[in-house]
Amino acid sequence: MESKRKWAGASALTVTLLLSACGGGGPGSSGGDFTGGKLVLAVLNDQSGVYKDASGPNSVKAVKMAVADYQKKYGDKAVVKKIEVTSTDHQNKPDIANTKAGELYERGGADVILDVPTSSAALAVANQAKNHKKLFLDVSAATTALTGAQCNKYTFQWAYNTHLLATGTGATVTRNGGKKWTIIYPDYEFGQNMTKSFTAAVEKAGGTVQETIPTPFPNENFATFLTKAGSGNPDVIGTMQAGGDLINLVKQFNESGLKDKGVELAVGLMLINDIHSLGVEQFAGTLFTDPWYWNMDAEARAWADRFLAETGARPSFEHAGNYSAALQYLEAVQAAGTDDADAVVAKLEGKKVNDVFLRNGEIRAQDHSVVHDANLARVKKPADVKEDWDYEEIVTKIPAAEGFPPAEASGCSMTS
Amino acid sequence: MLEVTGLSAWYGQARALHEVDVRVDEGEVVSLAGRNGAGKTTLVRCLIGLHQQASGTVRLHGRDITGLPAHSRARAGMGWVQDDRGIYASLTVEENLLLPPTVSDRAWTLARVYETFPVLAERRKAPGSTLSGGEQQMLAIARVLRTGARLLLMDEPSEGLAPVIVSRIAAIIRDIKATGAGVLLIEQNVKFAATVADRHYLLSQGRIVETLDNDEFRRREGDLLKYLGI
Amino acid sequence: MSAVLQYAVQGLAAGSFYALAALGLAVIFGVLGVVNFAHGAFYMLGAVAAAVLLDTLDLTLWWSLLVVPVLMFGFGLVVERLLVQWLLRLDPLYNLLLTFGLTLILVELVKQRYGVSGLPYQLPGGLQGRFDVAGVVLPRYQLFVLLFSVAVCALVWLTMTRTRIGMILRAATENPELARALGINVGRWVAPVFGFGVALAGLAGVLAAPFRAITADMGNNFAIILFAVVVIGGLGSIVGAVVAGFLVGLVEAFGQAYAPTFAQILIFVLMALVILIRPAGLFGRQEATT
Repeated sequence: MESKRKWAGASALTVTLLLSACGGGGPGSSGGDFTGGKLVLAVLNDQSGVYKDASGPNSVKAVKMAVADYQKKYGDKAVVKKIEVTSTDHQNKPDIANTKAGELYERGGADVILDVPTSSAALAVANQAKNHKKLFLDVSAATTALTGAQCNKYTFQWAYNTHLLATGTGATVTRNGGKKWTIIYPDYEFGQNMTKSFTAAVEKAGGTVQETIPTPFPNENFATFLTKAGSGNPDVIGTMQAGGDLINLVKQFNESGLKDKGVELAVGLMLINDIHSLGVEQFAGTLFTDPWYWNMDAEARAWADRFLAETGARPSFEHAGNYSAALQYLEAVQAAGTDDADAVVAKLEGKKVNDVFLRNGEIRAQDHSVVHDANLARVKKPADVKEDWDYEEIVTKIPAAEGFPPAEASGCSMTS
Repeated sequence: MLEVTGLSAWYGQARALHEVDVRVDEGEVVSLAGRNGAGKTTLVRCLIGLHQQASGTVRLHGRDITGLPAHSRARAGMGWVQDDRGIYASLTVEENLLLPPTVSDRAWTLARVYETFPVLAERRKAPGSTLSGGEQQMLAIARVLRTGARLLLMDEPSEGLAPVIVSRIAAIIRDIKATGAGVLLIEQNVKFAATVADRHYLLSQGRIVETLDNDEFRRREGDLLKYLGI
Repeated sequence: MSAVLQYAVQGLAAGSFYALAALGLAVIFGVLGVVNFAHGAFYMLGAVAAAVLLDTLDLTLWWSLLVVPVLMFGFGLVVERLLVQWLLRLDPLYNLLLTFGLTLILVELVKQRYGVSGLPYQLPGGLQGRFDVAGVVLPRYQLFVLLFSVAVCALVWLTMTRTRIGMILRAATENPELARALGINVGRWVAPVFGFGVALAGLAGVLAAPFRAITADMGNNFAIILFAVVVIGGLGSIVGAVVAGFLVGLVEAFGQAYAPTFAQILIFVLMALVILIRPAGLFGRQEATT
């Protein structure tokens, strides 16, 4: 209880970065169609907590890269010259995310909010977007509710959802022979949602989930949960833990000897930063879904090189997703010639896109799910790692139509 | 041996002692009597070094110890027998005895302690918490003797003890006196004080109001009892 | 049956961390009267130090078990001299504020320096692998952790009960004023005792490094459970801290096995029961060291 309080006490960090005032460019060339004469892209995410490395400050840099690319591409033809990127910390808390989003739209002049990890926080921001009739492009939250029961006209989900993770990992592993599953999940929104999606995907692929084990969150000690999971002799233990909890679980899984008994570990959600921090030794052989991998092809790699020069690290799929979302937003603004949200949404809806992040991408009009091809990845053995951050081997591509649920099944009805 | 001059003490704004002068010589037992709240406990705590808000000087063996912290005063030869005996419940009898450092070559050996207090020898391994009141008092006195302290501050040593034990303690105090040590006895029990002390101070409202020799003290015993409200 | 045995071993291994860290907390509280809310942060620093030593100097766990407690002891001395000593005469509220604030600072500094994703750690070869005894899988490292902590706890207990230092510390714990009046310079022991308590927390952190996520936040949840341990054992009681540490480990393990959702709540239910039945904890103040 005490430790919760301290996060509330830590004041939210808001940094405004004036990116381009376009030198001494005289007024008048733009402004009429842009509130305040400028465009504001607000990144709202975890700047200090568990998701800081996976997204955090480097997502802000990715968005700035998109702005720079937009300006380079259009130069004097850009419909808006003054573009600001701001960064706000939501500390992974829905209440803080809710307040901050309201402030950003009302007083911060934000035309679009980007990123927002943590499902409950993302849902709160989606609601604010709907009320303020301003855009929200979510990248890092996984819940299908964003494009389902709680979808709205101004909210888009850019990178992935629990359904993608479940079909990617759950169905593929099952088809590859991992028929009997036991799932360990953290007992909160994301974990429950993931467990449901995985169970459906495993069963659809002909497997069975013989047991699901809820755990507290956060939690350090998984030894007994793992023993219990192993006692049913499953082929696969699926873990829906994330961040530090995932590292705890993987370390203790390796310690438990279940690997030697032939039990495979499948991870629901893992980011490259998890592998980087824990080392490939601990994760070697683990299967997981990666919506985008920096070394998956030449185009991704070229962008990842720029990102590396900018930040000193290779990008996670969330960083690339933020770049893509910002870039496509700017393209839509350029096409619409205004920052008016309804006009921009009209340009986004139904658009087929290929960029650094999106392959065979489509910004679906029906549910605002941005669907694209993803990957099933396996963590490399230490001996196969050839350079820093070279951690993944792509096992198979997950086509967009397979990874994302059909729009009709989403349960979304756009009322506003 | 002990010379206290002009000792005043405060608790915040409230003054508890006014310019108190007290003197104890070698081989002398001096009692200090007074009602509850007269300032006896404050005086003892000032001497021990546990009460900081004070002025005046305290000398021991001619050495000014006014500025010394409590543990240095103990090492200078001041031994405290607390009114609640101050026996450590979590230490055994023997550990209680061995806890304080020896401070002079007059220090008693453990063997001598056990010879003098056979009951402590019997119970040497017992935790302090299991001793009776009389045993605790013996232990508190023995503990100070083992350090070789030359001045003993004894706070109510007879309080709450059976008569047979009180007379035993009186005998011990006379023995201590015979070794040349000084004793300042804080005592409300006038009869007991009269049997062991050479001189008597009367403390009232933070002032020494009278100094009596033992003959006069005995003569006025009735008065004093009334005066002390006992 | 074998499952029960396995849960018990896992519980005791997890309890080892609680026991060691709670022991440090109890020693500090006993002598200083300070409830050290920064204990979780010191545990975290121990684990981070082990990871950094392995990464930069190639010092394996064996060395870290030796070096990190010494470093943490020194760090504890500095913290005591600079900060904690000013608390001793103040209202306990200030010790909450100071040690809690210290936690925030340490956690943030580690985040700034080492990020939030955590640090890698590899066990030395000798501690990898498992024993398989009659269907019970006993990871070597878990056994090692258990034996090592029991040995350290026993050593501390022997020091407290059989040596002059221990006697002085027990006296200073029970009645510091009297100890001073008896000629013991209690103040001299305050900084070393604080350093020692911090070293124990750091040692628990080193032991945790191989099978816990090494992140700046790793001490937060740990600290919460740690305070439940100390309350159950009795604040300031050395034996109580150790017994309650292992007990809580067992409750956690069997909770995970038979009532997973309630695994952590059970610990606090136990704490509430203890407070109801024995407000001073299982081993109250006065029996601190028996």
